[in-house]
Amino acid sequence: MSLDYVKFSPGFEKFMPKEYRDMVEHGPFGKKVSVSQMGSFKEILEEHPMCAGCAMTLFIRLSMISFPNPEDTITVGTAGCGRLAISQAAIPFVYGNYGDQNGVASGLSRGLRLRFGDKPKDVVVMVGDGGMADIGFSATLHSWFRKEKFTTIMLDNEVYGNTGGQESGMTNRGAVLKMAPLGKKFEKMDMVGMAKIAGCAYVATVVPNNPRRVETVIKKAVLIAREVGPAYIQAYTSCNIEYAIPTDKVMEDAKNVEGDRYQFSEYITDDAKQYLAERYGYKEFLPKPAAAVTKA
Amino acid sequence: MYLVADINVDICAQTSCKLCTQFCPEANTILYNDQAGKEKGYKYGAAYVAVDRCKGCAQCVWVCDNMAKHHAITMIMIDQLPKAAITDNVTYGEKSTTALLASPVVG
Ligand SMILES: Cc1ncc(C[n+]2csc(CCOP(=O)(O)OP(=O)(O)O)c2C)c(N)n1
Ligand code: SF4
Ligand code: SF4
Ligand code: SF4
Repeated sequence: MSLDYVKFSPGFEKFMPKEYRDMVEHGPFGKKVSVSQMGSFKEILEEHPMCAGCAMTLFIRLSMISFPNPEDTITVGTAGCGRLAISQAAIPFVYGNYGDQNGVASGLSRGLRLRFGDKPKDVVVMVGDGGMADIGFSATLHSWFRKEKFTTIMLDNEVYGNTGGQESGMTNRGAVLKMAPLGKKFEKMDMVGMAKIAGCAYVATVVPNNPRRVETVIKKAVLIAREVGPAYIQAYTSCNIEYAIPTDKVMEDAKNVEGDRYQFSEYITDDAKQYLAERYGYKEFLPKPAAAVTKA
Repeated sequence: MYLVADINVDICAQTSCKLCTQFCPEANTILYNDQAGKEKGYKYGAAYVAVDRCKGCAQCVWVCDNMAKHHAITMIMIDQLPKAAITDNVTYGEKSTTALLASPVVG
């Protein structure tokens, strides 16, 4: 976990595959890259078996570009579609048992702090809605209540995609799925509300049809989780297979869902705003100059 | 056979707006060559597809048609593409990439 692991071992350079050489020489490590430069540098996400046109894939791709220090980042995942791509990036990936990701990430982030002190090492959990809101629910909530400092990202496709279409707590009421033929009987869980109650310092909802917004949300979350407190991002990442969305309509669907139940929202505690302003120069959070005195 | 995305340089190079790659789900697939179209007087370069990584979802077509409104991308059967970029022939530079075009079908 440092720039050292993205160097060639002396003498081995010519034996490395092209993709690896491109990554070392033209990848994002040790540089600042942004979504506006996409297509001009070598991304660290490699080929993977996620379905064609999957919005979750796009979100993962954007996230990998948005991590503030990819060379100092570890991702944690679990069973579910997302890990098929997250594990195929040049970032160490820890694969937890189904649902234990926020427990694993708690230990990892504490251990890294003990080992590296103030040098930031970012732990980012990326897990599906089933793995997080159902099976991993208690580990997730407890990590937030304990104020564990790492980022939790829910890849919310509103279904168990990887196992063929069971409903999750995040499925919408009434939705009929292949393995939930009677339709969901209960409301979608309010994980955003719970994240705030449990004490997250940053909570955001986002949809991948706005790549620049995904970028700013991920950056803020990861930076805040370094020192202020837990960060939670809930991203709508549709499953075009289980919801039968034609692949060329995936972004249209994202736009519609954004207008419906997935409006962009961002909650930042005052401590976190102050920290972003002072430490990372976020102008939007600098204290406002005193308002001009208005005439009586 | 299967479909892949194909970008018309003459249309794309008029703006080279770079929207499509921000929406392609696959990494390292829609790339930019800032020299493309220069010989015809275009200034901005153009996008191209590394077809070995394209999964044929046509999301880029939707983005170019509906968001960029440039209509530069079509889906085409891979064996109907006489020449295309593939990852092995892509060279990364400081701020741009280039690709040697070759037949994407082996044999
Ligand atoms: C303990 C355990 N139970 C069940 C499974 C089987 N399993 C694998 S993926 C998955 C569902 C994943 O759904 P979700 O977390 O919503 O992610 P998605 O695939 O939709 O991205 C299940 C139930 C497992 N791997 N481990
Ligand atoms: S099953 Fe659904 S969520 Fe999983 S990779 Fe395919 S489209 Fe994406
Ligand atoms: S969206 Fe269309 S015009 Fe814009 S870069 Fe892509 S292919 Fe070119
Ligand atoms: S068809 Fe899909 S995978 Fe292929 S270049 Fe377009 S968006 Fe990318």
